[in-house]
Amino acid sequence: MNTVTIAKLLDPILKVEHLCRNFGGVKALDNVDLAISSGSITGLIGPNGSGKTTLFQCISGVDRGATGRVWLAGKSITGLRPHRIYRNGLARTFQLSRVFPQLTVLENLLVASTSKLNQTERALDLLRQVKLESYAQALGASLSYGQQKLIEFLRVLMSDPRLILLDEPAAGVNPTLRAVLWDMVKRLNARGVTFMIVEHNMQVIEELCSKVIVLAEGKVLIEGNFREIRNNKQVLDAYFGRAR
Amino acid sequence: MHQQIIVNITLPVFLLICAGIAPLLVSQYHLSFGLQVFMMLALAQSWNLISGMTGYISFGQVVFFGIGAYTAAILLPLGLHWLPVIGVGTLMAILLALPLGLLTLRLRGPYFAIAMLGLNEVVRIIATLWVDLTNGGSGISLSPTLLPDLSTNYYSMLILAAVACGIIWVVHGSRFGLELRAIREDEAAAEMVGVNTTYAKFVAFVGSAAIPGAVGTVFTMYNSYINPTSAFAPDLNIQMIVMVMLGGSGTFWGPILGTVLVMGLREILWASLPALHMAILGVILLIIVLFLPNGVLSLTSPKIRIRFDLTK
Repeated sequence: MNTVTIAKLLDPILKVEHLCRNFGGVKALDNVDLAISSGSITGLIGPNGSGKTTLFQCISGVDRGATGRVWLAGKSITGLRPHRIYRNGLARTFQLSRVFPQLTVLENLLVASTSKLNQTERALDLLRQVKLESYAQALGASLSYGQQKLIEFLRVLMSDPRLILLDEPAAGVNPTLRAVLWDMVKRLNARGVTFMIVEHNMQVIEELCSKVIVLAEGKVLIEGNFREIRNNKQVLDAYFGRAR
Repeated sequence: MHQQIIVNITLPVFLLICAGIAPLLVSQYHLSFGLQVFMMLALAQSWNLISGMTGYISFGQVVFFGIGAYTAAILLPLGLHWLPVIGVGTLMAILLALPLGLLTLRLRGPYFAIAMLGLNEVVRIIATLWVDLTNGGSGISLSPTLLPDLSTNYYSMLILAAVACGIIWVVHGSRFGLELRAIREDEAAAEMVGVNTTYAKFVAFVGSAAIPGAVGTVFTMYNSYINPTSAFAPDLNIQMIVMVMLGGSGTFWGPILGTVLVMGLREILWASLPALHMAILGVILLIIVLFLPNGVLSLTSPKIRIRFDLTK
């Protein structure tokens, strides 16, 4: 079975229904419904405070205070703890780097593996792909912020996830490492890995994403391809405020 | 590689052989001191397993020591042989750790530390008030005829210290140890990369309770007397923490180095400044926290640590 056939069988790889999350009186997520096609790259955009990171937190199980349902490849992952969701094939990175500072780079990768076979070779191979193999024995804390973000990305690849949620992966990363990162995303996507990316750089969203979902005030405002959302009045209002 | 073999295999084997033949060569006083060193080493490594590895600072590790100590004090007068008593003491500590772990490991940071401290106090008060079983504050004295001799107790404590060190050695190099260290670094991120943090912490907690349970039984056999104040002594817990943090928390060699340094220093201070020796240990802890958060092992250069495999 080729990757396209597998992708169709798993479609949609992620389905979210009626997801709501309140913090006190604030509705961080307000009845969010969405579906992510298998094998796609979906951009998640919206102004600050629109609920993008909260949505990732709820999908990945970090925040289990939400109501609503979440399915991964047809299987309900609602209420599951993050490690079980990860082992089901959904991995994510954080907005701010969460590399383990006192573990070596190699250990940072090994701890995330879900298989016991040849994991050291696998980790070293990933490091080679981003030219960081010479840092394998360095502590996570000794890396630059951009390198840490990259290691965090490589770390989630150790489990061969089906779906990866990237929360502003390029924020604070220099252009060289950013290019390496986007190149890896493209290569993995070509092999069937699905991505959902929170990103503020619209050029990247346009280049990478087949679909864009716009969140505003905890609701899905609109979804479509980049061209459709670029000049949409509702989107412009959400970002810049309504004209008086 | 050659240096790593010396440090990881030759040195521990040499130290074990020296400790093994010591009863043939040294006085009763020095044998007694050696027993106390091994006792503290076993306790320090047990604290290292839960607190050094996971970052969950426990101020109640001594509660398991006390349970083991009282198990021996209650069972030995019934005519049981000392060897199965060590096993029962260990089992009792594990049985206590099972519900305690389920309850307390939901808490993080200072809340866990305070909960453990409180639990130790609760158990100490129960031991004081349950006069029928424990003889209350008067404690339990054991006839020397019921107890093994000093050499036997020394070897028992040596074996327990070696087992505790062995556990840390194996765990540190294992996938499980890596998961524990990831929890220490960032528990939420560890869970996000597939680590079942609840399970890992629970296993470490129960494992770390077993060692002081066994050590407590041997301590009663050595001391021949136990009361609630000595069995559930918070200062014993503080000594474990000082030893681990002085040497290097979360490492194999750190607690060994820390125990030797503190016990040596305590021996000197106890003789010259008996009233102040605990206060001085407190000051040492303060200095470590302020200036050497990773212990004296961190004073060596990274090259030496890698060359001699001291990062373990």
